[in-house]
Amino acid sequence: MEPVALLSDWQFVVSNWRFLLLGTVVTILLTLSSLSLGFLLGFPAGAIEVYGDGWLKSAVNTVGVILRGTPIVVLIVLFFFALPIPRLGTVPVIDMQMNAFIAATLALGLRSAAYQGQVFRGSIQSIASGQMEAARSIGMTKLQAVRHVIFPQAVRRSLPGFQNEFTIVLKDTSVAFAIGLAELLTRAERLYLQPGRDTAVIEVIIVISAIYFILTFTTNRALDRLQQRYAIPGGNE
Amino acid sequence: MTEAAETRGSAVGRVGGRKRQVFLAVGGLFWTWLLARWAYHNTLLDGLLTAVGLPDVLRSDLGVSQREPWLPADWFAGVAANLATDAGGVSVLVVDPLVWLFELAALAAESEPALAAGAFLTVYLTVLSMFFGLFIAVPAAVTRIYGGPISSRISLAYTELIRGTPLLAQLFFFYFGLPLAGFISGFRVMEVSGMPRAAAVVAIVAFTINSSAYQAEYIRAALQSVDPGQLTAARSVGLSRLQGIRHVVLPQGLRYAIPGWTNEFVYLLKYSSLAAFITVPELFRRARNIGSDTFQFTDIYLIVGLLYLALVITTAMLMNRLERRVTIPGVGMPAGRD
Amino acid sequence: MSLLRIENVDKSYGDEDVLHDVSFAMETQDVEVIVGPSGSGKSTLLRCVNRLTEIDSGAIYLNDEEIHSLDENELRRRVGMVFQDFSLFAHLTARGNITLGLREVLELPKEEAVAKADDYLDRVGLADQGDSYPAELSGGQQQRVGIARALAMDPDLLLFDEPTSALDPELIGDVLRVMNDLAEEGMTMLCVTHEMGFARSAASTVTFLDEGRIVERGPPEQLFENPEHDRTNAFLGELSGLH
Ligand SMILES: Nc1ncnc2c1ncn2[C@@H]1O[C@H](COP(=O)(O)OP(=O)(O)OP(=O)(O)O)[C@@H](O)[C@H]1O
Ligand SMILES: [Mg+2]
Repeated sequence: MEPVALLSDWQFVVSNWRFLLLGTVVTILLTLSSLSLGFLLGFPAGAIEVYGDGWLKSAVNTVGVILRGTPIVVLIVLFFFALPIPRLGTVPVIDMQMNAFIAATLALGLRSAAYQGQVFRGSIQSIASGQMEAARSIGMTKLQAVRHVIFPQAVRRSLPGFQNEFTIVLKDTSVAFAIGLAELLTRAERLYLQPGRDTAVIEVIIVISAIYFILTFTTNRALDRLQQRYAIPGGNE
Repeated sequence: MTEAAETRGSAVGRVGGRKRQVFLAVGGLFWTWLLARWAYHNTLLDGLLTAVGLPDVLRSDLGVSQREPWLPADWFAGVAANLATDAGGVSVLVVDPLVWLFELAALAAESEPALAAGAFLTVYLTVLSMFFGLFIAVPAAVTRIYGGPISSRISLAYTELIRGTPLLAQLFFFYFGLPLAGFISGFRVMEVSGMPRAAAVVAIVAFTINSSAYQAEYIRAALQSVDPGQLTAARSVGLSRLQGIRHVVLPQGLRYAIPGWTNEFVYLLKYSSLAAFITVPELFRRARNIGSDTFQFTDIYLIVGLLYLALVITTAMLMNRLERRVTIPGVGMPAGRD
Repeated sequence: MSLLRIENVDKSYGDEDVLHDVSFAMETQDVEVIVGPSGSGKSTLLRCVNRLTEIDSGAIYLNDEEIHSLDENELRRRVGMVFQDFSLFAHLTARGNITLGLREVLELPKEEAVAKADDYLDRVGLADQGDSYPAELSGGQQQRVGIARALAMDPDLLLFDEPTSALDPELIGDVLRVMNDLAEEGMTMLCVTHEMGFARSAASTVTFLDEGRIVERGPPEQLFENPEHDRTNAFLGELSGLH
């Protein structure tokens, strides 16, 4: 411990880069798993809210309100404590408890699905009703029309909303701190809780904030590019 | 056939029909309870009543942990215990959920005074932070659009840095990083009873800064949607640039910002729960503490989730109303993100 | 045997009677033009024929088959429609707009669909615009793609709902030329349009619809020169005053 204690707080953070890098890996993994779950479920949820009927639509709507109306920290701890997630042990190297990871993915992913569903629903509804009629008038079934005419346009219009959702999920992975998942923020705390390192709080927090910022910033730019690439020529949406 | 597009990610959306009636009824009960609890333990009100000769009506002297539940917690617990022991020949499938429901009710009744105190602090944190945040957001948005090359970049950097980093990290920064808490406790006013503890003040500072960045974005987008011809017209009647912004652009633009602003309000109501991690005894913190005391984590988090839902849904409905109230015909259509 | 036979069709929205006891028939290669004031039920009548709207009572026969006994998608394949606002699929190129139905409904192989699409684009004078997206085309060009899209399905009957009324005056000519060509080639067409020139030159019959009822019906010369009813006269007078 002796030589370490002599380091300045900044040097201390830098010398622990590997420790923080592993946290960053967990943060990215959690973001990706949650967003994927959110997309897989949000997409049909949005479609059901527009085209579904009866109890299914009503159920999707109610579950959506519950997920969007509850703080993410409550969802995470509730899923962690209430769900019978098997104890799957810990992933070596990144020191990630599997059951905490699964609970966090479910909470972040389901809530994201509720928001992505809203984005997608809005996009579908913003497409002029003439598009559906034109598709039906050449003999396409409703399903074909939705699949080939409505969805391709709706997905494009949803991209800004999905991008927004990406930033929110990435930042909210930090709330998995509440169940001790070894993501970036949790690891930051472990660093400055080391004996004699309580003076390094500011430095550690600034560094991890910078990491979060770089992640959101670069991904946002990349997604901007992607949107430009897939924009419909001449279309203003 | 399709209803008007509503793309903003509001928590609740439009609620109609029977669901609305249910929400209104439950929400009414919830707020009656919250306000009654607040009044019952309010120092100022108690002082007033004592002054007019009614010293024992209100109980502001009781600490949160000494407050009596208003519902018979013991009775619920008793029913649960009885059911569990003499289930007789009744199927476990029926009894177990019933036992659980009564246990849940018992826990809810028992924790109700503490949860009310927490919920009140949650509302308090949110309202104050949104209010203070507005005073940073408006200048930040105006600077961003109308400022010079340097000031508008500073404004941009401020909003992007705040919006690009997690709120929880910001809370840690202000509470554990900066010596803000110690600094605040140093003030003599902090010893006056009724003032929030230093941690709560730090939370308000962090939330104010965080929400100011989001509010600034909504306001900027709203101001930019005001026809630039409006400012030209203002200048042409002899108003200075600042006067034009102040009297013509802002009154119109801020109306456009209302849907985004109300959205942000509901958003902060939910995210104020993160103050729990810097020891602020708001709603989520209260629940967490009860969980550690009773080990009934699932049950208490379920209860607190329902309380947040009640808070969020009633607020969202109120905000919807507000939006419809303040729109002027032809000005201000919903436009917002998050 | 008539190609299209409409018998005693009624349609109402709530208490509002939109179509009242409408009956008429069209033979193959007929060009029927429907005129009438706004809200008289012209669009509704067209939409009943391809079942975008369902009638309340009466019957509609296509080649002596009651259209409600047909599969609705099969019916719509056989009855093409051209829209006032074009309604091109915004995310697809001009060619893509045409191939979509060929591939998904007629299930043609890709090369065949593309060849056919290019052929129809050529017929409407847009051979060089296959790769353009709708937003990159003028209104007149978009409407011609709309016509090509409907034609490519090889329909027995084409419905036109005010195909030129959303166009700038200088763009109307191109679309009318395509419609005239189609009429000459023997396409059976049921057109709602207020283009009197087109009605005179191409129509076999003109029908005047008012408040959901057929007021008068006959060859264009008769209706335009010697209308039996004052209402017809008044309406046509107003129309020609506008143009
Ligand atoms: N989906 C609908 N629901 C209710 N009423 C409708 C609907 N579609 C049309 N109508 C009503 O039916 C009447 C006839 O409408 P329609 O569109 O057929 O008239 P039109 O002759 O095509 O008029 P225009 O020249 O304006 O296009 C109108 O009064 C209209 O308001
Ligand atoms: Mg019409």
